[in-house]
Amino acid sequence: MSFRIFILGLFASFGVAWLSIIIVPYFKMRSLDPIPMGEDANGTSVVFNPKRAGRIKDGYEVYMSNGCNQCHTQLIRPTYAGTDVHRPGWAGFVYDDERGNTSRETTVFDYAHEKFASIGVTRIGPDLSNFAVRVREIYAKGQSAENWLYSFLYNPRHDPKRRNSTCPSNRFLFEERKIKGNPADDAIPFASKEGYELVPKPEARALVSYLLSLKKDQAVPASINFAPAKKEEAETK
Amino acid sequence: MSIETTSNEQDIRLRAGIDRSLRHPVMFFLTSGAAWLAVSLILGIIASAKMHAPGFMDGCSWFTYGRIQAAHVNALVYGWAFQAAFGVIIWLMSRLSRQECKASGTILMAGHLWNLVVSFGIIGIMAGFGTGIPWMEFPVFVWPALLFCYVAIVIWSMIQFKVRPEGHVYISQWYLMAALIWFPWVYLTTNLLIHVFPGNPVMANAINAWFKSSLIFLFFTPVALATAFYLVPKVTGRPIISYSLAKLGFWSLAILMPWAGTQKLFGAPIPVFIPYLGAAATILFFIPAFTAAVNLLRTASADMEIVNNSPTLRFTMAGVFGLIVMAVASVFLNIPDVTLELTQFTISGYGFEILALYGFFSFVMFGAIYFIVPRITLREWLSRRLIKMHFFFSIYGIVTIALVAIFGGVMQGQGQEDFLQPNTELPTYVYPYAWATTISWCFILFSNIFFFLHLTFMWLRLGRRSTHPTLLVSHHAGSPHGEEGDIDNVGTASAH
Repeated sequence: MSFRIFILGLFASFGVAWLSIIIVPYFKMRSLDPIPMGEDANGTSVVFNPKRAGRIKDGYEVYMSNGCNQCHTQLIRPTYAGTDVHRPGWAGFVYDDERGNTSRETTVFDYAHEKFASIGVTRIGPDLSNFAVRVREIYAKGQSAENWLYSFLYNPRHDPKRRNSTCPSNRFLFEERKIKGNPADDAIPFASKEGYELVPKPEARALVSYLLSLKKDQAVPASINFAPAKKEEAETK
Repeated sequence: MSIETTSNEQDIRLRAGIDRSLRHPVMFFLTSGAAWLAVSLILGIIASAKMHAPGFMDGCSWFTYGRIQAAHVNALVYGWAFQAAFGVIIWLMSRLSRQECKASGTILMAGHLWNLVVSFGIIGIMAGFGTGIPWMEFPVFVWPALLFCYVAIVIWSMIQFKVRPEGHVYISQWYLMAALIWFPWVYLTTNLLIHVFPGNPVMANAINAWFKSSLIFLFFTPVALATAFYLVPKVTGRPIISYSLAKLGFWSLAILMPWAGTQKLFGAPIPVFIPYLGAAATILFFIPAFTAAVNLLRTASADMEIVNNSPTLRFTMAGVFGLIVMAVASVFLNIPDVTLELTQFTISGYGFEILALYGFFSFVMFGAIYFIVPRITLREWLSRRLIKMHFFFSIYGIVTIALVAIFGGVMQGQGQEDFLQPNTELPTYVYPYAWATTISWCFILFSNIFFFLHLTFMWLRLGRRSTHPTLLVSHHAGSPHGEEGDIDNVGTASAH
């Protein structure tokens, strides 16, 4: 085996796989056509495009740089790959009779505008695909979702029901300052001294904006809906 | 260790010259690598402790779990594993290509720069500038600098291979050349497609999963196999049993492993063939692994006494057993519809990486270090007790981590599948395994503190001046290390 053939072999054996599972899929997936959802009230056609801009985007940076994705996933796998769809509050909800159960698998468009899809590494904590809805509808029912999240981020174990949580405290995202005039709306009730208040820093606000944008149960167009309503169900509606 | 059969004075002088030319860069890489290993282990203990005791070092931004876990893994990969690989690669390639290194100054400088950049990267992660992309958490400015250092360090080895004297190319050289070519290709592709020309975010995950697996299977595995294929025949004084088996092992690695890794995306919205191909290729890792392991084991088993007595061979053969366990784990953890989706989001992913990086790669590197360092410092290891401590505590630690990774991961996955349990139960599935991991990291840290001290003494040239290599058993009742001799003359020093 000459040097030339050896090097050629190295390039060929690696290059074929490199082209097939990295380069070609990369270019194929780089510009996916938007999926039409029909028309809105004004007659303009609508595409599926979750909002992710401004402070939500900053919050995504905070989420990634603090390694939240080490313990939290954001992926609802199809039933052949797990029971994610069935877990209450993970894949969707029953809001009302009209929409029924909104549970669905994650689609590729759910991660639009993220640099690196926050699919996550392990599931030490719960999946966050629909975390915003869980917070609004269940955890913080009747109070401000932002304030519930601030308290949770400050001390994830303050609620006795959550004593098993191993979520790290994000105390460093808050600052204690002297109350001037009226106390702040978003102050959390863990201040150490009288006359002081604990308020979130800008990073905490951004992170909470991002967490409250996590909603992956919108209706999707039929072309990417892998669990369409059964015929008889559709007829009874 | 064995006495080399050649008595050619010219050969001996050549080897001594090679060792002398590489003394400083190799010792620098090995010592700073060992220091990074200790740093990484401390970070790993803190991270693992937070999994079962979240109050531990709580509320401090630099030590929050997500950052410190990333810092731990990156210090292990870029601080220890890469630097150990560099030290061994440049020495092996010089020896096998029979040329002195003419660029040791450049290599040494690039090595310092590598350390500086890795330090910046780790500090960046802990200060909150990390990217959150597994194994690529370093702030974005780090990757071009690392690639530049890499090229400045290994290009000389590639040149040495190109201009080697005519003749036989040894198995180790195939593996080294392959690793040297594949790594920059993988690294450049991944960083360009994720950082510079971002494409689809889900595809970026697939590329990242492929990157992690490629680093393990296409860089660390071939480097460790090259080292083992050099050390085993060298120390036992016997040729490799089967050359055609080695060929099969090499080309099956080259053809199969570039496809591996993307099974991490199982069930994600991505073309389905990508995760399935990744799972298939990772399962097939048992072919290159078993062929290499059988070849090495059969070569070494001809003389079990040497395996038992030589620190080099004992570590190397433990690494080969690590390779076998790793191959079994890559089959067991990646069967679609059985274990793949069960273990997809569990600690078994991390456990497998540690098994590959420590249980296989690091053990072979330790073997190489126990072989190389006496030759380039012209001193023998001080104490066989330190070597034994290093060996046994490392074994206890890594065996626990491997068991936890394989069985704990499956148990954790079973817990996750039970969708009627409340979310608050999820962290409890990992408690016992996190405890086990913390304890085993403590064992490994304990063993490596001795290793680091021992290596530092050698670096300071405080080793024994003796012609007798440090073996793990004592042959002479009088002195624990046998008769002392003078090794400062070229002939005897390199005859070992």
